[in-house]
Amino acid sequence: MQYLKKDDYRNYFRDVFGISEDILKKYHFYETSSSVWAYTGDAAPLSEAEVVGVRALRVRNITKPTTSFLRIIGKYATKNVVFIDDEQGSSFLSGESLIGVCQSLKGYVVVRTASDVLGCGLCRNGILISQVPKKYRPDITWL
Amino acid sequence: MFEKYRHIIPDFESFLKAVETPQPYWFRVNTIKIGEKELVSRLSDKGFVLERFRDLNAYKIVSMPVKHPGATLEHSFGYYYVQDISSMVPALVLDPKPGELVLDMAAAPGSKTTLMAALMKNEGSIVANDTRASRLRALGSNVERLGVTNVMITKGDARTMDFKHLYDKILLDAPCSGEGVIRKNPKHGIPGDKEHRYFSQLQKSLIKNAWKHLDTGSKLVYSTCTFNPIENEDVVQYAVSKLGMEILQVEFPVPHVRGVSFWEGRDYSDISDYVMRIYPHLLNTGGMFIAVLEKR
Ligand SMILES: C[S@@+](CC[C@H](N)C(=O)[O-])C[C@H]1O[C@@H](n2cnc3c(N)ncnc32)[C@H](O)[C@@H]1O
Repeated sequence: MQYLKKDDYRNYFRDVFGISEDILKKYHFYETSSSVWAYTGDAAPLSEAEVVGVRALRVRNITKPTTSFLRIIGKYATKNVVFIDDEQGSSFLSGESLIGVCQSLKGYVVVRTASDVLGCGLCRNGILISQVPKKYRPDITWL
Repeated sequence: MFEKYRHIIPDFESFLKAVETPQPYWFRVNTIKIGEKELVSRLSDKGFVLERFRDLNAYKIVSMPVKHPGATLEHSFGYYYVQDISSMVPALVLDPKPGELVLDMAAAPGSKTTLMAALMKNEGSIVANDTRASRLRALGSNVERLGVTNVMITKGDARTMDFKHLYDKILLDAPCSGEGVIRKNPKHGIPGDKEHRYFSQLQKSLIKNAWKHLDTGSKLVYSTCTFNPIENEDVVQYAVSKLGMEILQVEFPVPHVRGVSFWEGRDYSDISDYVMRIYPHLLNTGGMFIAVLEKR
């Protein structure tokens, strides 16, 4: 796979989520056909690599941040952040939409509680739509 | 099945008793994402009873309010990784530092890769390789869940693969007959001599390719989760006598014994005092063999 270094993607996280340059500077961004990877390693990606760091964005049709990467840097977000309580948090993690939490926000947001970043959400027409992948959905038996 | 090891395993009756009883779970806090104190207090609030081992980031779960230790939100957020303490030792002994270039030749599902990344504070680079697609997927999802960003994952046969660099440190946590994890997976078949010999060959090819990728003066940790000396001391002796590597003494504060000196007519006394064997009955864990070698 070809990994094209495009550190300009830092601007996406700066502009959309207000994350400071200081946090972003340690990440190098590499583009492949459908994804952008966030990597903090020094050695350049080997062309054989199937994974380089953590997938940060999907870029096929629209640019969409991943829950995995927001769980790493979302705590530094100062813009487009939706705070919810723990009960709303478990609904959100289970894939349910929430009404009344987006305020005037539109587009992709960092969704978090007081203690944890839960992942990526989409605010559309005032509704928060969960973008958390199924693999991160909690089982009913979990604590 | 372990009878043949009676004369090499000290306190053999306790060993037998240990392998027949279920093994407690251990975990380590993923310091990439959360502090030890905070995670321990969150799990304690949920009803976990934990016991820390000395000053290591290694916690034994004494009791828990869930069936599986990974059945919590904290686990899903990547705040901890369930891993037997014996399996942490090879990575802790290799002790990779931020900024180093590290190769993990047989890495999936990534227990040691993700531990090394935490020790390296996500700085430097780790090339994590494995052959099996299903196990590579597990490696990928662990890297992602734990927020490990300094790793590249490759798929290849580590006997022949060109890993493109000379590395500062290499971990060869080799495929093996797995006698030390039978406790954890009782369905695992009982390995016979043919299997030990097969793995021994494979391990020698792997260690040879590891040696090719080491910089002079750089360290290799060779580990397996099996007891048979053919897969352990024999492979280490091969690295010393055939590849000219230097054997270094392994020291680590987890209960262990030294290596086997004589086995089936072979003499390993030149290297046996340097290596480490962790047996299930010493600390109620899985089994592990660990050796440290240096390229001259
Ligand atoms: C003991 S397991 C590794 C466990 C891993 N280091 C961890 O701590 O999570 C051995 C691994 O070697 C892989 N393997 C077997 N043959 C291999 C080869 N020729 N090259 C690379 N990896 C191989 C297996 O798929 C298996 O995942």
